[in-house]
Amino acid sequence: MTPVRDVVAKYRWTFSGMVAWTLQRVTGVLLLFYLLLHVHTIGKLSQGPAAFNEAIATFRSPLFTCLEIGLLGVVVLHAFNGIRITLLDLGLGGGRQRQLFWTLTVGLGLVVFLAGAIPIFLFAVLKAG
Amino acid sequence: MDLDERMTVLDALIRVQREVDGSIGFRCSCRVGMCGTCAAHVNRIPRLLCSTLVRTLDSDVVTVEPLPHYPVIKDLAVSLAPFFAQWRRARPAFRPTHADAPTLAVIGKHSRFRQLSATKRDCITCGACYAACSITGMNARYLGPAAINKALLRVLDPRDAGGADRRQVLDHSDGVWRCHTQFNCTAVCPRHIDLTDSIVRLKRALVRPAKGLTV
Repeated sequence: MTPVRDVVAKYRWTFSGMVAWTLQRVTGVLLLFYLLLHVHTIGKLSQGPAAFNEAIATFRSPLFTCLEIGLLGVVVLHAFNGIRITLLDLGLGGGRQRQLFWTLTVGLGLVVFLAGAIPIFLFAVLKAG
Repeated sequence: MDLDERMTVLDALIRVQREVDGSIGFRCSCRVGMCGTCAAHVNRIPRLLCSTLVRTLDSDVVTVEPLPHYPVIKDLAVSLAPFFAQWRRARPAFRPTHADAPTLAVIGKHSRFRQLSATKRDCITCGACYAACSITGMNARYLGPAAINKALLRVLDPRDAGGADRRQVLDHSDGVWRCHTQFNCTAVCPRHIDLTDSIVRLKRALVRPAKGLTV
């Protein structure tokens, strides 16, 4: 059995394709955890309004505001890399997967992330103040 | 040892063999990057030893290891048996549509086969793509990038009649569908063949409702 560190070291993590593939898997798993939490919270409705309101109140803490911003980052990364992969699978990438990763997934993804994260952060600060 | 900056990694290994350890085992042949014999892991990237200048590695220490995903014969020499086993499965040989045709087939300069094959036909079977692919490392039944690229060349060829057999091998969970589009093969190919593009082209061809396999 090959030790995990050997397997990890064997692949070039500087190759954008490998990094993009790994990010897609990691963000996919994180989104799965989020969906489980989401379904669990929505499920509280079956126990009545009081139980649901109590669950929602948990998410109003600063910690969850930070996690919400993190969730936005995960969603944006997963979505934009998904678009990149779709374009490549459709043959629309023009052999430029690396450029697509840096411009579409990272560049445009960062713009969209900041456009969402800054208002969430400011709203949370103003509300706390 | 100190190395001249014009040296290739192969030059350095030959010096090591002559001056330090005569028993060290590695393979080389043409020394100009056209035979594909000397592929090895250099600083954790599959490369041709004879085409890699030491100075381009931008590293004080050069680590040379045998290619992963192959059984090691001795030191840096690996057996390419797994690579060629998959190569054979892809039906690489040309099977003519008209074996008894009295005239030679004409492939037009602007034909799709001519244009696309120009970017795909330079494979020197060095095995670097097979070593770089993380899928071949996990699943030895996977065809691998080079074999699929070879199959694509045959599929593209209007004179070839082996489409049905080849389709069975390609349209399989261990065929083109096993590729996860990581582009590692493309990144390391010393002949700069866009191998992932070849795989993606075949995937698209296989989902088309056409009778034959056309790319």
